[in-house]
Amino acid sequence: MKKTVVLIGSLLILSAFLGVMALTLTFGAPKMTDMDDYFLRFGQEQTGTNNQCTSVTFDFRGFDTLGESTVLFCAVIGVSLIFRKMQAGEEYENE
Amino acid sequence: MSRIVRTGADFLYPAILIFGLYIVAHGHLTPGGGFQGGAVIATGGALVIVAYSYTEVSEWLSGKVLMGQEVIGLVGFIGVALLAFAFGQVFFFNYLNASGSLFGIPVPYGINAGELNTGGFVPLMNFSVGCEVWGGLTLVILYMLSGIRREES
Amino acid sequence: MIEQIPQILVLLGLIVSAVLTYYFKDLLAATLAAGLFSFLISLEFYILQAPDVAISQAAIGAGLTTAILIIAIRATGRYEEGSS
Repeated sequence: MKKTVVLIGSLLILSAFLGVMALTLTFGAPKMTDMDDYFLRFGQEQTGTNNQCTSVTFDFRGFDTLGESTVLFCAVIGVSLIFRKMQAGEEYENE
Repeated sequence: MSRIVRTGADFLYPAILIFGLYIVAHGHLTPGGGFQGGAVIATGGALVIVAYSYTEVSEWLSGKVLMGQEVIGLVGFIGVALLAFAFGQVFFFNYLNASGSLFGIPVPYGINAGELNTGGFVPLMNFSVGCEVWGGLTLVILYMLSGIRREES
Repeated sequence: MIEQIPQILVLLGLIVSAVLTYYFKDLLAATLAAGLFSFLISLEFYILQAPDVAISQAAIGAGLTTAILIIAIRATGRYEEGSS
């Protein structure tokens, strides 16, 4: 009973929040556009790419892609540590 | 899996490979890039790995080659970015853009048709990130399949 | 209004596939419903004019995640235990 009341109350609060946001905010019209205008005006000459998404992710925001590559590398290293080849006589820890 | 699935995987894998390499190579002209192209190629690798059993796959798809591919991709990414110091610029500076050499044709502002030989070091970055994602995501599927074989035996 | 009809259909399909993922006791069917959810959300990204996000969502969400979950189901068991 208490669980149902908490669930219904949280759903009501969430729907009220989303309704107010949908009524007040306009979709597809951001207010601060200085950085976007700079990328769209000078990105094509400064990076030489016609695809502006790639020019942002690989040139203007290159450190972001570097961190993403490092995260992927660490994830694959973790998977290979979990599924490593067992030595002779070694047992699984979590049986 | 059955013979139909295996034959379909044999025919589909080169097509998926060529489509992914196209996405990687045209990353600076059309939508896509290194990460998306590498993920498409890894999907083709997952199709082959699911269609065949682990003992058949592990004969021609080695884990060490994929791990080396991933390491080469990450080291190449950092190395291409570090090479800007040799040109007297800061880290991650696009030193190949409009230089007239490899990938060095200048691009004017406005709508144009696009040329493959442009982009500065962005195509090199695309190739290294695509190489890394291809190796890494295929390696995850391969390790999952190796774990299930050891559990059943 | 007429150009928003495919978007509304895709959003209804998203809700239906998410509810089906929750209610299936057969885990293979639930995995396929989750793959349908990823495919529909990549279609929604394409309608909202973000094709590169749509490519990565279709490749990772609908391809690789479904393959990993199917391998995990092959290793463990197909039906949910202790719930019926």
